[in-house]
Amino acid sequence: MNYILSSLIFIPLLAVLIILCLPKQFYNGIKLVSLLATGLQLILAVWLFSAFNPATTQAYQFVEQLNWISLDLQSLGLLQIQYFIGVDGISLGMVLLTGLISVVGVIASWTISKNVKGYFALYLLLVGSVMGCFLALDFFLFYLFFEFMLLPMYFLIGMWGGPRREYAAIKFFIYTLVGSLLILIVMIGLYTSVIDPVATAIRAGHAPVSGPVTTATIAEVQRQVVAGTLASESLVHTFSIPDMQQAANFVPGSILHVLSQKKLWGYPVRYLAFLLLFIGFAIKLPVVPVHTWLPDAHVEAPTAISVLLASLLLKVGGYGLFRIVYPVFPEAAAYYAYFVGLVGVVSIIYGAMCALAMADLKKMIAYSSVSHMGFVLLGLASLTAEGTNGAIYQMFSHGLISAMLFIITGVIYDRSGSRIIDNFRGLAFSMPAFTALVVIAFFASLGLPGFSGFIAELLVLLGAFSSSTVSGMLPRWMAIVATIGLLLGAAYYLWALQRMFFGKHWVHPELNGKSAMTDLTGREYLMLVPLAILVLVFGLFPSLLLQKISPGINHFLQLVLQNGG
Amino acid sequence: MNISAPSLIASLTDIRNGFAFLGPELILSFFFLLLVGLDLFKSRVLKQALPFVALTGIILGLLTQVNFLHQLAAKQTTVFFTGLLISDGLAHFAGLLFSVAGVLTIVLSLLSNQLRLKFSGRGEYYAYLLVLLTGLNLMAKSVNLLMLFVALELVSIASYLLTTTLKKQQNALESGLKYILYGTLASGVMLYGMSFLYGFGGSLSFTDAAFWTNLSRLNGPFFLVIFLLTFAGFLFKIAAAPFHFWAPDVYAGAPAPIVALFATAPKIAGFVVIIRFLAQIKSYLVPALQDDVMVLIGGIALLTLVIGNFTALWQSGARRLLAYSSVSHAGFILAALAALATNSTEAVLFYLSVLLFMNFSVFLLVQIFEERLQIFYIKDLAGAGKNYPVLGILAIIILISLTGLPPTAGFTSKLLLFTNIWQNYSATGSPLLLTLLLAGILLTGVAFFYYIRIPYFLFFKRNFSSEKKVVLGRDNIALSLLTLPLLLFFFQPAWLTELIREVVLYSK
Repeated sequence: MNYILSSLIFIPLLAVLIILCLPKQFYNGIKLVSLLATGLQLILAVWLFSAFNPATTQAYQFVEQLNWISLDLQSLGLLQIQYFIGVDGISLGMVLLTGLISVVGVIASWTISKNVKGYFALYLLLVGSVMGCFLALDFFLFYLFFEFMLLPMYFLIGMWGGPRREYAAIKFFIYTLVGSLLILIVMIGLYTSVIDPVATAIRAGHAPVSGPVTTATIAEVQRQVVAGTLASESLVHTFSIPDMQQAANFVPGSILHVLSQKKLWGYPVRYLAFLLLFIGFAIKLPVVPVHTWLPDAHVEAPTAISVLLASLLLKVGGYGLFRIVYPVFPEAAAYYAYFVGLVGVVSIIYGAMCALAMADLKKMIAYSSVSHMGFVLLGLASLTAEGTNGAIYQMFSHGLISAMLFIITGVIYDRSGSRIIDNFRGLAFSMPAFTALVVIAFFASLGLPGFSGFIAELLVLLGAFSSSTVSGMLPRWMAIVATIGLLLGAAYYLWALQRMFFGKHWVHPELNGKSAMTDLTGREYLMLVPLAILVLVFGLFPSLLLQKISPGINHFLQLVLQNGG
Repeated sequence: MNISAPSLIASLTDIRNGFAFLGPELILSFFFLLLVGLDLFKSRVLKQALPFVALTGIILGLLTQVNFLHQLAAKQTTVFFTGLLISDGLAHFAGLLFSVAGVLTIVLSLLSNQLRLKFSGRGEYYAYLLVLLTGLNLMAKSVNLLMLFVALELVSIASYLLTTTLKKQQNALESGLKYILYGTLASGVMLYGMSFLYGFGGSLSFTDAAFWTNLSRLNGPFFLVIFLLTFAGFLFKIAAAPFHFWAPDVYAGAPAPIVALFATAPKIAGFVVIIRFLAQIKSYLVPALQDDVMVLIGGIALLTLVIGNFTALWQSGARRLLAYSSVSHAGFILAALAALATNSTEAVLFYLSVLLFMNFSVFLLVQIFEERLQIFYIKDLAGAGKNYPVLGILAIIILISLTGLPPTAGFTSKLLLFTNIWQNYSATGSPLLLTLLLAGILLTGVAFFYYIRIPYFLFFKRNFSSEKKVVLGRDNIALSLLTLPLLLFFFQPAWLTELIREVVLYSK
């Protein structure tokens, strides 16, 4: 099973081709192909999860590494782009989540009737790109998949969305594109600064073409690069993220070199590069104040696309911070820890307060996403074992919970054509089973013990609180203020629950009426129940995930603290 | 001048030997005469065959270019015709691109109803095309100011005539007139600048080291004025600000295949000339003046980028939008050329090669929209993407490539350009280069905003009249074939870069 990761990426993409060949009217066939492809992907993802060995000393597992594009840039050396994928503690949870949510999304899309072929083709393209993003270990490949997510999403919102879909789609696209252009600037800077010591050793003739390159040779090459005795023509510039994480691989004198004293507008260039990357991924996460695209996109997107957006696409932002930003610029990460933590706390509080004020259930959930993603930033900024593990756990847990939440709004919207909270009262009477699941989802999201959200937020808060003594990154008040976010979360969820589901049964007369508010259908059970079970399982047995991912995350933390301290 | 008999004989021998390097030009000229001759006959069959005669000529020219490129290593660089022209990798690679552009122009013309139905002056049209290509080839080979001027005028005159091909259309004549006025002005200014260069440099050959050492004695501002005057002609050809005013009008008035050609081939020729000048400047001019040149080129690049991208935002017509996008492409390439310390020729040639396919595919798209679907403004595209999905999907790929996003060759070419600028910035720390880099990348975002309007209208808007209009199968096939390289050169850029590296190696 050497190609398991490639299969994860290419099964959906292959399904796109199959769907494009199917006739337009063959609705069920198209849906079935999508379900089979994502189902297969889920099975592989689960297999990967169980086969993943947390105890190994290898940094990445199931690695596939092929040379893809090599461009000889003469005096600049060789530009090497690799098809380089692998999985570690940081990405394992995300891969599993992608497998899960993709299947749920197909089931949620089952009722799509408009241009089915186009919809599922774009959907699978999106799923494949997200998976690629989580698995790529080459910055170029990552960027390719990152950009590749934009267009399908743009069309999925713009063509199958609500009344203001065009505005939302353009807004989503412009925000994310600006973010990705900021990332592009740093990407160019990084690869012109970083060399692949192994490939350089071979190119410079220090090692045989096919034979293994010893660590001694690598050290020798790195020494020669530093000494400047290696001609610049024989350097192999790489996009490989693991290579970018080692200070020894930076060409001396390059602007992004760790010891580079170059300053721009009074700041070291590396700090500015960190900020550019951070903003790029923060837009995706999203973080206050660059979050404004999110509520629009969520409100207009069809249910399944909202699910994907909240559960997977937001995670790509957080994942980018873990995979690229922090390990490559650890000293800048330490320098800006206060700032990142502050932005996280502001997102938690501001997102929660906005959610409290929303009349539209879907908008409320969208803002609650902003609030919950703030915890990811806070945990990451704390640079403690609890905080970083919590941040990844939060991404995983929020992926499950937000999928439930958006399906819940979809259920209400499908029946009544409205999502306004005040249009409903006492839904518990007509939809008891649904209400039970809503209670689970709401309580999980507000962080009640026993659900996965609790574990995640507890870890993050513990990390933020101990940070001042353990790593010296964040002041204590941040953890305390963030706790207020939990309180606000409880407020808007309980208030919404009380208004919509309890009291005397009433539905706004202008809507489809009481009769339409029937309980869940089989398809809806199929989506909500497994998610609810998973939320509970990962709330009660956090070690199920943590024992797999912790060693990888701790390794990440060591790396950052060691190089950034 | 005092010419002695032996030196006269030597010159004559040189000229006679020089013909060996003029293969493409001679073939094109011969076919030009052939076309003019055949056009005199009234036979219908003969008239129908005229495009194919021209095509044969261009393809033969293309084969000679390929032949030259094939034996590049053996032939080296040769200056011939008593120092007027040069035969090197750059000239022949540019020649290859011109030939491809010529072939594509004819293919697009054959697909165009307007041009197919236009019966009178059909021979002329193809004949001028051959003249234009001859002029471009000579331009790419010139190393002498006077030769350069003659070649450039040859290109210009053919361009003026081609612009007014559709005489019956109101805006064709208007655009032709504007083109001539701006063009002659630019030529005049250039000639003025060249006279200074000749006066102070003491030579017409701009590859002489002495020419530049003489010029090095000038003081900075004065040199820059002369330099800018001379460059006016080239900047006009590449449609760089502030010499871009002709572009929107000409793009709006000329037939689509000709616009595609204008947006590509003269641009390539102009850049080849600029590359040749800058190569000399780098090797022979005093460093102080080099810095001035860098600031000047960088300033023009920045101006071009800003004007091109921001003006494009306000355009409602597809052709005008593309005119400004073409201006902005010139800005990107100039930005890379401003990075004097690194050799950006490879990146620029890659960009130009990709631009060739982008331009021809996007103008074929425009032609299909205009002629088959009667759509002239972007807002009229509403819903067309749903009725013609193949066209819509290809349109997205082309526009993504024009913007410079992956997975298209447009991205690779921009990546290479930006890499050069970054590398140079990292070596010199020049704030101008950083500004150019940041402006270039951020303006890509602006560019995206105006390009995305096309797919936006194609797919998101409705109320497209249900009137049945037919997009022919051959349109779709031609467009797909033109779009293919945009994807191909993303996944396999090495196929192109290997050739370009070879070319640059054997260029002067």
